[in-house]
Amino acid sequence: MKNSRSYVILVVLIATAFGFSKYQDLQYPDYFPVPEYNFDNNRLSDEGIELGRNLFYDPILSRDNSVSCASCHSPYNAFAHTDHDLSHGIDDQIGTRNAPALFNLAWQKSFMWDGAINHLDMQALAPISHSGEMDESIQNVVLKLQQKERYLHLFKEAFGDTPISGAHVLKALSQFQLTLISANSKYDKVKHGSDLFNEQENKGYALFKANCNSCHTEPLFSNYSFANNGLIVDTTLNDFGKYAITKQSKDSLLFKVPSLRNLKFSSPYMHDGRFRRLNEVLNHYTSEIINTETLDPQFEQSIALSSNDKADLMAFLQTLNDTDFVFDPKHQFPLNKSKNPKE
Amino acid sequence: MKHCCILILFLISFTSQSQNDPELIQINPLFNNEHLELNKPYFLASVNDSIKIETLKFFISNVQFFQDEKLIDSLSKKQHLIDLEKEKSLQIEMSRSNRLRYNMIKFSVGIDSITNVSGVFGGDLDPTNGMYWTWQSGYVNFKLEGKSEACSARNNFFQYHLGGYQAPYKTISNIELKVSQQNLIVINFKIDAFLNGIDLAKSHSVMSPNDTAVALSKRFQKIITIGDEK
Repeated sequence: MKNSRSYVILVVLIATAFGFSKYQDLQYPDYFPVPEYNFDNNRLSDEGIELGRNLFYDPILSRDNSVSCASCHSPYNAFAHTDHDLSHGIDDQIGTRNAPALFNLAWQKSFMWDGAINHLDMQALAPISHSGEMDESIQNVVLKLQQKERYLHLFKEAFGDTPISGAHVLKALSQFQLTLISANSKYDKVKHGSDLFNEQENKGYALFKANCNSCHTEPLFSNYSFANNGLIVDTTLNDFGKYAITKQSKDSLLFKVPSLRNLKFSSPYMHDGRFRRLNEVLNHYTSEIINTETLDPQFEQSIALSSNDKADLMAFLQTLNDTDFVFDPKHQFPLNKSKNPKE
Repeated sequence: MKHCCILILFLISFTSQSQNDPELIQINPLFNNEHLELNKPYFLASVNDSIKIETLKFFISNVQFFQDEKLIDSLSKKQHLIDLEKEKSLQIEMSRSNRLRYNMIKFSVGIDSITNVSGVFGGDLDPTNGMYWTWQSGYVNFKLEGKSEACSARNNFFQYHLGGYQAPYKTISNIELKVSQQNLIVINFKIDAFLNGIDLAKSHSVMSPNDTAVALSKRFQKIITIGDEK
């Protein structure tokens, strides 16, 4: 009797050990802040991340199986969409905003240029359901996935032997996207002490700290708040940003502050992709600010930068490009499909 | 054999005890004092026309039992999706582990703000249940759809999707009802009273957090009553 009880305890201990070993923590540098994402409700596992990666690259999420997340969030563009000012959806429809780059999402408090989405888990519902993006429903996505042997297997691996649910689809997509961490740029190497800025980069860093850091706060290079940065309204879009969500006049023309990491890969810039080149962005801040009621107070006095200053600032911004992140095979199209030939 | 007898005795005592205990909350949607049936024509006096309800879905959350304002017990399952298409969802099982005395029940119609900002959940909260907005985060607390000749929308279709968890469009509605201790608590939702006075020709589509959603959500306080089973 005593023996059998110790066996039970042993089995429980082994199971617990295996249970824990399945999960993993997000890896990020020690100078990053604490993530916003609450991992207690969605523990990362290799299987969950792999499932999420398969879903991210699979056009099954769209109505006619033509558009995947990666269609507008390509790994080679730091998960943005190069050369498209506005996002390009199902049936060649054109949206009203620029597809943002995706990285360091665990630190974002809200999603979309206007903050319409309050949690990473819920973000994918928007493009899946939007008639101009994927034009599908999460209900039908679940039905389609349930008919695929490969997905029945992947969901079982990730979440155990329960039927595929909408919650599991969204949790897996979150898991994969949470692993998209950009923290290996030259800036990061300098932070780690394994590289040094040259003279021009150092000057640019000083200019950055004086003029940009209050919103594009390092080390994430955004404080992920919302601001009116003085862009003139594009009258073909009449996009008033956060106002559309809150209907509060104080939020008119406020858009989310994007990160300045990986700018080399994620052109064009701004919520409507109006600037194709970084020097156009810098020129906006030095001489094209439009003063409206909600303009961020920091822009009431224009930023003065000489052409040398701009060149130095540009040199610093180049140090935020993270080639290792952009070309990381772990983030790319999953080539392991042949392992499970049964579709 | 001895063990078996003890088990049987235990089961008998358990079942006999539970007969005195509250077991179910029965949600009872009513229209003109009849149990509401989907797709059945009713007469709605305030528009002087007939009306059919096609969808009635809503969340009941945080059910708590009080005795003289003191919290006695609460249901461990926090959110319940009530869907008139699924008769079983109209019954909420209560815990039967105790014989506590209570004289008031409190609950909310809708989902609280913490749950609204805490990511995705399965079960009754799963987004496949069609009670989560996709273009802007937030649960739909209450969904009522149907048709009436009095409604000027396309196909005479009206739809009230009430939700919103942030000020100034907070739509969760807290309900308090005096109850006597019983096995079955019947809670009436008078849907005709909810629709009473709404001008279906003008106000037929509410599908985002806004002033109308807030105003309509305040109606729950008046249309929810303790009832006899019908």
